[in-house]
Amino acid sequence: MAGILIVEDEKDVREMLRDALIRRKYSVIEAANGKEALAKFKASFIDVVITDILMPEEDGLKVIMKLKELKPELKIIAISGGGKFGPVDYLNMARTLGADEVFTKPFSLKKLEKRIDELLTS
Amino acid sequence: MTVEKNYIDRHLYDHLINNSRSMLSVINSNYCYEKVNNTFCKYHKCKKENVVGKSLIDIWGEETFKNNIRENIDLCLNGNIVRYEANFQIPLYGERFFEVIFRPLPGEEGNITHVLAETVDITDLRLAQKAVNELEEEFRLLEAHLPVGMLRCSPDGTIIHYNKTFSKILENYEDENLEGLNIKDFYKEKSIFDVQMLHATDEKISTFRRVPIITCKGREIRCRVNIYVVTDKETKKPLYADFAIEDSTREIMIENRLLQTKKMETIGSLAGGIAHDFNNILSSILGYSEMLLEEIRENQSGTEMVGKIIKAVSKARELTNQILTFSRQVGQEKIPVKICDVLEEAVSFAELIKKPDISIRKFFRDIDAQVYADPTQLFRVFINLMINALQAMEKTGGTLTVTQENISADQFRNELGKSIVADEYTVIGFEDTGTGMEDSVMSRIFEPYYTTKDVGNGTGLGLSVAYGIISELDGEITVKSVKNKGSLFKIYLPLNVDLHPPESITDAYNKKVLFISCYNHELRILCSALKKIGFAVDCASDVDALMKLSGDENVKPDIVIFTQDNENISSDILSDYLMEKNIEVPVILITDSSKDLSKEKLVNSGIVKNVLFKPVSLREIIASIQISLNK
Repeated sequence: MAGILIVEDEKDVREMLRDALIRRKYSVIEAANGKEALAKFKASFIDVVITDILMPEEDGLKVIMKLKELKPELKIIAISGGGKFGPVDYLNMARTLGADEVFTKPFSLKKLEKRIDELLTS
Repeated sequence: MTVEKNYIDRHLYDHLINNSRSMLSVINSNYCYEKVNNTFCKYHKCKKENVVGKSLIDIWGEETFKNNIRENIDLCLNGNIVRYEANFQIPLYGERFFEVIFRPLPGEEGNITHVLAETVDITDLRLAQKAVNELEEEFRLLEAHLPVGMLRCSPDGTIIHYNKTFSKILENYEDENLEGLNIKDFYKEKSIFDVQMLHATDEKISTFRRVPIITCKGREIRCRVNIYVVTDKETKKPLYADFAIEDSTREIMIENRLLQTKKMETIGSLAGGIAHDFNNILSSILGYSEMLLEEIRENQSGTEMVGKIIKAVSKARELTNQILTFSRQVGQEKIPVKICDVLEEAVSFAELIKKPDISIRKFFRDIDAQVYADPTQLFRVFINLMINALQAMEKTGGTLTVTQENISADQFRNELGKSIVADEYTVIGFEDTGTGMEDSVMSRIFEPYYTTKDVGNGTGLGLSVAYGIISELDGEITVKSVKNKGSLFKIYLPLNVDLHPPESITDAYNKKVLFISCYNHELRILCSALKKIGFAVDCASDVDALMKLSGDENVKPDIVIFTQDNENISSDILSDYLMEKNIEVPVILITDSSKDLSKEKLVNSGIVKNVLFKPVSLREIIASIQISLNK
């Protein structure tokens, strides 16, 4: 079964994603921030990373960069509540850094799940 | 004794005459010199015997004599004292200035037989005078061009003297003489002048900020007034007061603008923060609702209720999205846009919805002006302002005037006191003759949730969204309004010089897009934007469109965008047709958040790859096309 790492500092969102993905029979690992995500990442186990962007202790952009370095074939989905803070367009930047998909919150679970399936089969 | 006294007297006279600094001579009626003094000889570098007996023609030349001297001597011989100034060559010094005085000298019989000529060298005096004049002129120019209004008035306020700048500050463009008028009459509150004079007595400069002054044109301005009162040393009574006056209107405008910007930034980051957190909460509500929908789908009861939760979430999402737009946290896809094209669409939309007693006029001056923006967002802003204007004239009727023109960066800086980002700006004006508003309302209308409309008549977000969109484009939106007269909204946008399409979408070049929709204004803008980016766009609004789908591969679209407002083709017809013909083209559905999609065949069958809610931004539709095509 495919392994998914959820990186999200917002507990409610993280748990919702965990519950939804476990229902789909994925193996799920949770991290509350970027630092924790980098510590918990196991290249052999994780196929997809879903990461929030604005987080304390290493943000999502750093997570995307570091993990793509560790495992180039890793699929990454970035999610964010606001596309942009100040002059930086974070979601666009996430895409440029290697995120395969970006979603703005609130997003449809169905869409997300469908996209995970597609990314895993591609 | 007498002989001796006469001798001394004569010597004394000779001494006095010869040592005079003036040239002295006695001229007879034949215009000949009879006597000259030493000074005369000194100036002429000659001896007395060489002059006495000679005619003035011999000494001065015939021309000078005829033109300048003879007439005056004749006048003098007729009994007049003649006084004039002239410059002439003197052998000793060259060119000098002289004052010449001819006094009639009576002979023994009382008739005038001689002229006493006195010629005084006034060159030094003249030079000194010239220097003083130059100095005075210099000072006068300095005072005239000083960027500060100068005024001298008597202690009661009567204007004695003022400079050009003062006149300009008071908008005295006809240059009427203000001397003799009372400065108090230009004060909004006359008593302020008296208070100022009381304060400004002890020979120190007193400064008063933002004094309300009424100009010659009747306009109220605020001035910084510096006063120095000059008092009589002995009586200590004030003699006059010197004023230095500066117009603070611009300073106040910049200060207010800065304050306003800061306020909007504060509200923006607060609202943006809340919207961000709210989106997180909505995420888990939506996620669990979707899971719940799957759980209970089997027995059906409750699906409708969960559907309503999902619908509420998408409504809430629309709201948070608007707030994020206001707080400039939504990135815009910017492309070169001809501003007047978007304006034309917006105006023709307004023409459709306006009441008959309202007329819309448009004056577009620089129709080729291009800005770098998302045209769908600009359309939103224009529509918003025009709907507001129409609503303001709902009861009275009136005229909405839409204008467009380019201005220089300098003009932009002058009007707004804001730093510039382009060499030229385009200004779009929306002026109505409606209800107008109070100053207190005007200063708050761009704040989110600030609304003067009745509950249910507006979200109170329209203008704040407009503010966010325009600010994101480095533009500016301003308002001027007079209660019961009307309002003028102005949008300033930097003109685009660098016309490149956005990088992120070059991979979508030449993909064919088929739009199935009512061909409305908003869509026309979206279509032309997609074309500009590089998509091949086809628009269709009826069943004929479906024929295109089953046509040969060359004209077959790569993607279909379907808006759910089409009376000719329902989503069911489209879905049946696609399934029947076995056509696999990704479909993007554009709908509004009030529609219940849970029973839509098109959505449930999986034909629709992406659902977008109105209003759709260019960025959303491009991202959606990219995702759909990449699959």
